[in-house]
Amino acid sequence: MARYEADVVIIGGGITAAMVAQKLRELRPQASVIVVEAGKRLFDFENRFEYRQRNLDYGENHWPGDFISDQNARGIISRTQAVGGSALHWGGVCNRFSEEDTRLKSMYGLAVDWPIEWADLEKHYCEAERRLGVSGEPSPLKEDWRSEPYPMPAMTSTFNLKELKTWAEQSGIPFWTTPQAKNTVDGYGGRGKCRRCNTCEICPTGARYSPDWTFKQLLDLNRAGDGAATKFQLHDQTLIRRLVLDPSTPRIAAATGAREDGGDDNVEYRASTFVLASGYTWSPHLLLASANSRFPNGLANSSDHVGRYMTGHLAFQTTIDLNLKIYPGMNEQHSLISRQFFRCRPDQPYVRHDLRVWENAGGRAPSMRDRSGKLLLGDALIADWRTRLTRGTARVRGYFDVHPDKDSRLTLDPANKNRWGDPMPVVQHRTDAATQARTAATRQHFEQLFAQLAKANDGRMGNVSGLNYQDHPAGGCRMGTDPSTSVVDSHGRTHDHENLFVVGSPTMPTGGCTNGTLTFVALALRSAAQIAGF
Amino acid sequence: MRRRALLQSIAGAFVARPLVDLQAASQTPVAAPDLSAANVAALHAVAEVVLPASIGEPPRRDAVEKFVAWVRNYKAGADRGHGYGASTLSAPTGPSPALQYPAQFAALDAQASSQGAVSFAALALDQRRAVIETLLNTPQPVNRLPARPTGANLIADLMGFYFTGADAQNLAYNAEINRDSCRSLDGSDRAPAPLGGGRG
Repeated sequence: MARYEADVVIIGGGITAAMVAQKLRELRPQASVIVVEAGKRLFDFENRFEYRQRNLDYGENHWPGDFISDQNARGIISRTQAVGGSALHWGGVCNRFSEEDTRLKSMYGLAVDWPIEWADLEKHYCEAERRLGVSGEPSPLKEDWRSEPYPMPAMTSTFNLKELKTWAEQSGIPFWTTPQAKNTVDGYGGRGKCRRCNTCEICPTGARYSPDWTFKQLLDLNRAGDGAATKFQLHDQTLIRRLVLDPSTPRIAAATGAREDGGDDNVEYRASTFVLASGYTWSPHLLLASANSRFPNGLANSSDHVGRYMTGHLAFQTTIDLNLKIYPGMNEQHSLISRQFFRCRPDQPYVRHDLRVWENAGGRAPSMRDRSGKLLLGDALIADWRTRLTRGTARVRGYFDVHPDKDSRLTLDPANKNRWGDPMPVVQHRTDAATQARTAATRQHFEQLFAQLAKANDGRMGNVSGLNYQDHPAGGCRMGTDPSTSVVDSHGRTHDHENLFVVGSPTMPTGGCTNGTLTFVALALRSAAQIAGF
Repeated sequence: MRRRALLQSIAGAFVARPLVDLQAASQTPVAAPDLSAANVAALHAVAEVVLPASIGEPPRRDAVEKFVAWVRNYKAGADRGHGYGASTLSAPTGPSPALQYPAQFAALDAQASSQGAVSFAALALDQRRAVIETLLNTPQPVNRLPARPTGANLIADLMGFYFTGADAQNLAYNAEINRDSCRSLDGSDRAPAPLGGGRG
């Protein structure tokens, strides 16, 4: 068995792991840190243009091999397991939550309050934006106050977005551009400026932040021999299967696992502090899989809350055919946002959501045949196509706030095991009774809102559809001040094991009503200071 | 009558064949035959009918060459990753569409031979158009442009390859959108310049 020892072992190699490792190195430069990731590293930046092109041409995976075939869970929304995690594919959207998300119980009598003051979280949002490199346009709403400006100017609003903004604001709703972890300045974080490649899921220029950049920079610091040489290590293709308790205390003594190329239990890590940064699925999974005679329901689970309150948000969306001309493809992944509906007056029916608008090519595709069914060839096909290009299409979507039931769960599935015989997780989301009771009213709200937008420009609204899964999933190790109803404290320290932290998305009690990544990172950075001992 | 019967017989070559099992393809990919010079000539002859004449010959030839390159660089059994929102992996890429092309090229030449020409490319433009219209209308009409070549109908594959691409979109909008290219942010706040220079 290979044995490693470090001051801090971080399990998981995604965006929160990268942020915690980076901050630990700054706060405790002499501390040794090992990041252990089950998937492989995909650091061949020089091949990204080729991967992008093969994805465009053939539909091939733009991150080849970014998964482990038998490390599979039912109910998850991403199979990515690689250094960088799901943030490899990330679109880079960096929306903040709002204060209401952290005070649901006290403001609305719903779900729970987070054990964090908004001003504290806001400070860490700023830090997250600096570290990720966010370009953004401040919200005009006073409730969306910021203590620091965005690190970079907002992404250029394309001709299309300007046209769409003019239309959308005729409805009386203010819109502005969505903040993103994409460089609008050359060289920020050692990365290039956005070149509108339209493939943010793999950014060939590096303008969109992905965690592999941070890990490479940490490894480069080792090589630079700056006094912290070899203090940071990245062990990829190493699956941690168990956390092992100290025999006489509730502290975690070791993490054991296996390398892709080795046999059972062939790696052991010992550390003063262990950090679970494996996301909403694999963090609670490891705690449950590490059950032993002293913690028969799983580690950190004396409250029976590990794997409960799995959360996220749902969405309604539509397309609107508009009386304006746009040119689909100018910068398809850039969008408009309104945060007007983040707030809901306590005396009104509860519905909170974001509202986004994108350019879209829906209904503008070339056709093999005209309306009568006649075959079209050559210039006749182009002429027919042009008849559909005098108007434009917008895609409109709102993520809305839903709250998890206690039985919204991640459990171990004895019928689905990996090569090591470990039961894999299954995630089954369930919203609480209050959320279910307002489902019809929420849908009606969106239908009226989309109709209001369409009406502003002689628009024709398409079908309104909802997501069939909860996006930006989180939870499973929720934070709280009461150890009987939560798994970790506000810094991610588990109530049961003083040297075990869970960071990022699993700690969230509720999933908010907008993209979650910036919040995952802000929470992880807040935890990092505690992990460092500050 | 003979001509109609022959057209129907060659149309059979353009009907989609069942693809072999994808899993098997990923394990033992069958090498696709390379496109011969005669095949490429036939594609140019098809392109002259199905692609817009207004783009001129060099862009039309370029479109065919890109299609040929696409076919030659196809990899069967390639990792297609996993879609967002899905807990399952996508099936790997299937067998090369080119496996289905030899019979279709042969059918085109058989039609040419019946009309006294040495190859499909040697037919007059109107004759080629007649053959192509038949092959897109019978035995089952092709109603959709394939987003990527499938092998079911090489004429539709060539059309789909071009018309769903960025060059055709530029042509339809008469604008330098260049959606698949990496472009500067500068100037993106204005409408794309019209094709042929100038700014709209």
